[in-house]
Amino acid sequence: MERERTNAPAQRVLVVEDEKKTASLVRQALEAGGFDVEVCGRGDEALEAAIAQPFDGLVLDIMLPGRDGLSVLRQLRAQGNRTPVLLLSARGEVNERVAGLDAGADDYLPKPFVIAELVARVRALGRRGSEAKATVLRVADLTLDTIAHRAERGGQVFELTAREFRLLEFLMRSAGHICGRMSLIENVWDYDFDPGTNLVDVYVKRLREKIDDGFEPKLLQTVRGVGYLLKDAP
Amino acid sequence: MTIRTRLTLWFAVVSVTALLVMAVGTYVEIAEQMHHHHHHGPDEHAVRETTEMILEAGLPAVLLGLAGGWWLMRRALAPVAKLTQAVEQIHAGNLSARLPHSGNGDELDRLTDVFNAMTARLDHSFQHIREFTLHASHELKTPLTILRGELETALHDPQATAAQKERLAGQIDEIERLAKIVDGLTLLTKADAGQIVLKSEPVRLDELVRECVGDTRILAQAQEIQVGLETCEEVTVAGDRHRLRQLLLALADNAVKYNQRQGRVNFSLQREGTCAVFKLANTGPGLPAELQARVFDRFFRGDASHDSAIDGCGLGLSIAQWIVTAHGGQIHFVSGLNAPTTVTVKLPWLA
Repeated sequence: MERERTNAPAQRVLVVEDEKKTASLVRQALEAGGFDVEVCGRGDEALEAAIAQPFDGLVLDIMLPGRDGLSVLRQLRAQGNRTPVLLLSARGEVNERVAGLDAGADDYLPKPFVIAELVARVRALGRRGSEAKATVLRVADLTLDTIAHRAERGGQVFELTAREFRLLEFLMRSAGHICGRMSLIENVWDYDFDPGTNLVDVYVKRLREKIDDGFEPKLLQTVRGVGYLLKDAP
Repeated sequence: MTIRTRLTLWFAVVSVTALLVMAVGTYVEIAEQMHHHHHHGPDEHAVRETTEMILEAGLPAVLLGLAGGWWLMRRALAPVAKLTQAVEQIHAGNLSARLPHSGNGDELDRLTDVFNAMTARLDHSFQHIREFTLHASHELKTPLTILRGELETALHDPQATAAQKERLAGQIDEIERLAKIVDGLTLLTKADAGQIVLKSEPVRLDELVRECVGDTRILAQAQEIQVGLETCEEVTVAGDRHRLRQLLLALADNAVKYNQRQGRVNFSLQREGTCAVFKLANTGPGLPAELQARVFDRFFRGDASHDSAIDGCGLGLSIAQWIVTAHGGQIHFVSGLNAPTTVTVKLPWLA
């Protein structure tokens, strides 16, 4: 992964994870993605650190020594701290995700997660809320009008089912970032569980036939073992 | 034969024997007295009279004794019958329940104590196993996350050759499969322990079925399987929306996976009495009757267990069964050699 070249100061992220190997894996990936990373292995220390200094984002594990992640999050929010939080959980359970989002998390990623997706989601944390939701999305010559419910490329309008439309909208909103299967399942299908089918792959394949067949460049790419990516230049 | 019948029969044998001994004894006594007085054989008439007397008085006494014995036996064994009923109610799900004590301090109370102690020990063991599975699945997740992360990093190494990348991606697929199994096990273990609380809100089942039919059509395309929706009556059930969607998709996925090329999958949803009846039929090869009872068993995959072309973790139907049961419904699996395989789900509907 290449370091993103930008003139703005690097974003600071606090990674709270007690499992050392996982923590170092996340640290490496985020640093390669251009973030300044601090790692903390205990819930109580993480809470102090997050209150004492400003971070641009928090990656928070749920099972932690000292104080569990959900309690850290609740305490932060109770104090009016709005630092965006991505929750990590080994459990990947419906109740857990709902509890996490209720406690004030901005996003949730079940373990085992895709590292590339984690980086993409941390990056998205910063953007969240700061960008008004665009109603017309563009990637290369592909446009999607979310109000008129219309998708076209090179003057050709596509017939999309409701689900295909949501899939395309989600991929276009995260254009340039890898979307893992689980995040597509959660965001396009609203499934809080892994349905154990190749539903996502089949839908993406159909969508690709519609938007990429007969057009150049190919926009919708498969990242083997990781997920999908919609982007303009190769 | 019950203890009661056996004891009563023994009692009857003993009483009748006693009666006979009494009759014989009397006969001998009379015969001796006759011998002393008249120096010739016993008076036939007197003997018959005496025997009749003994039988007339003795038989009713024996019968009365038998009836009394039958009644006594019932009284004595009633607590055993009660205990039996209570023990019959015990299963893996309610091991924390205890049998009622009569408080008499008799042998049966002692037996009840022993039973209760035994179920307590079993309960403890079951809890241990559940906790073990929960911990095991949690512990497995961390190394899976690390392994996945490292493979992924290696996959993005620009120096890796195409063949190496292919191998790495294959390994990631296997890790995903492992992760799915671990997730499924965690879910079922939590469900066993009663740790999952389902919502109970009105859910339009017909809408979920229509949505599932749409997804199934897409899933079935590769194998040219036709997907039909016969009837879909409007029906609302009380339940957990997410879990019900999970249920439908798990069943639909099964119906597609275990089908044949150019086969059929048929959905139907009807109201019958107080139930919403959902049926899903497919033209798969079917299962022999002796295996049908096991389709809801964890990790049961029928003949496909060695067929790696059908991927899945073997927990889909177990999870489906749990969701149905947790909603107070029933699920049945019927399969014939030349008939379609049908899964039927009955859920109580909300008026």
